[in-house]
Amino acid sequence: MIDCREAVRRMWAYLDHELATQPVTEFEAHLETCQRCCGELEFSRQLRAMVADDERSPAMPSHVRSRIETILAAGDVPSGEPG
Amino acid sequence: MANALEMKVSQPARLAEPVLYTADLSSFAEVAHAHLDRLYGFCLRLTTDPSDAEDLVQETLLRAMRAYRDLRDSSSAKGWLFAIATNAWRDQLRARGRQIHTVSIDALDADGDEFSLFQTIVIEDPFPYSDELHLDFLRLFRDEDIVAVFGSITPAFRLPLILTVVHGFSCKEAAGILQVPLGTLLSRLHRGRKQLERGLWDYAVTNGLVTTIDEDKP
Repeated sequence: MIDCREAVRRMWAYLDHELATQPVTEFEAHLETCQRCCGELEFSRQLRAMVADDERSPAMPSHVRSRIETILAAGDVPSGEPG
Repeated sequence: MANALEMKVSQPARLAEPVLYTADLSSFAEVAHAHLDRLYGFCLRLTTDPSDAEDLVQETLLRAMRAYRDLRDSSSAKGWLFAIATNAWRDQLRARGRQIHTVSIDALDADGDEFSLFQTIVIEDPFPYSDELHLDFLRLFRDEDIVAVFGSITPAFRLPLILTVVHGFSCKEAAGILQVPLGTLLSRLHRGRKQLERGLWDYAVTNGLVTTIDEDKP
C-alpha cells in the first residue's frame, strides 16, 4: 500500500495516463481509503483542465493567416514581404 | 520586450532551386493546414508574445518546407512541426543572446519542488466558509490570469507542460520533440507543475485575489 506522499507524487502522471498498470492499481487502491487524496486528485484534475484549455489561445489573426497562405502557395516568402 | 525590429526572424536565405516543386508544395500545404491553428497556439504559448509567435510560425513553416522531403510519415507531422518550431525558437533566443536553459537548469528552483498548492490553500484557508475551498480558489482566475501565470513559468519547464498537458503528447513523444532523455523530460515536467502551483498562489496573493492569514493580523 502506498502512502499519501507517494500518491501525490503519482497524481499528475495518473492524470496524464503515464503510469504503468501496477502503479495505477496501487494509486487507485490508496484512493479508496483516502478522502484527502481524492480531494487533491479532483483539484489537480481541475487545475490541469484549466491549463489544458486550448480555447485560451487566441485564434490566429487574419493578417497572419493571410501571410501564411501566401507562403504556402508560393513556397517561400514573396519578395517585398518582411521575413 | 525587445525592440520590434530585433524580434524579427532573420530572412531565410533564398535558394537558387525551388524549395519544393508544385506537387510537393501542394502536399506540404495540406499537412501545414491540418496543424496550423495548433502550431500557432503552440508558438504563442512558447513565446508569450503575439508578434514573436507570428514570426515563429512563419519561420517554422519555411524550415519545414525545406525539410519536407525528410518527413516519412505524415501522421507524425504535428510533432515534427512542433520540433522544428522549438528549434527555431531556440535559435531566435540564441540570436538575441539568450538561451532556453543553462547547464544548471535542473538545479533551478529546487526549493519550489516541495511546494504544494493544495496544502497551502488548506493552511492559509482563504475562504473560511467555503465547502469547496480548493475549487473556489481556482474559480478566482480569469483566462488572462492563467495565461499570465503560465507565461511566467521558466521556459524550459513550460515547454514540457505545453506539449503534454495542452497538446496531448505523451512524455515519450515530448522527450523526442525536445531531444532530451525521458528522465530529463519528467524532471522538467515536475518542475513546471510546481512552478505553476506556486505561480498561481503568488499571483493570487500579489493581485489581492486572496487574503492570507498574516494579512488578517491587526
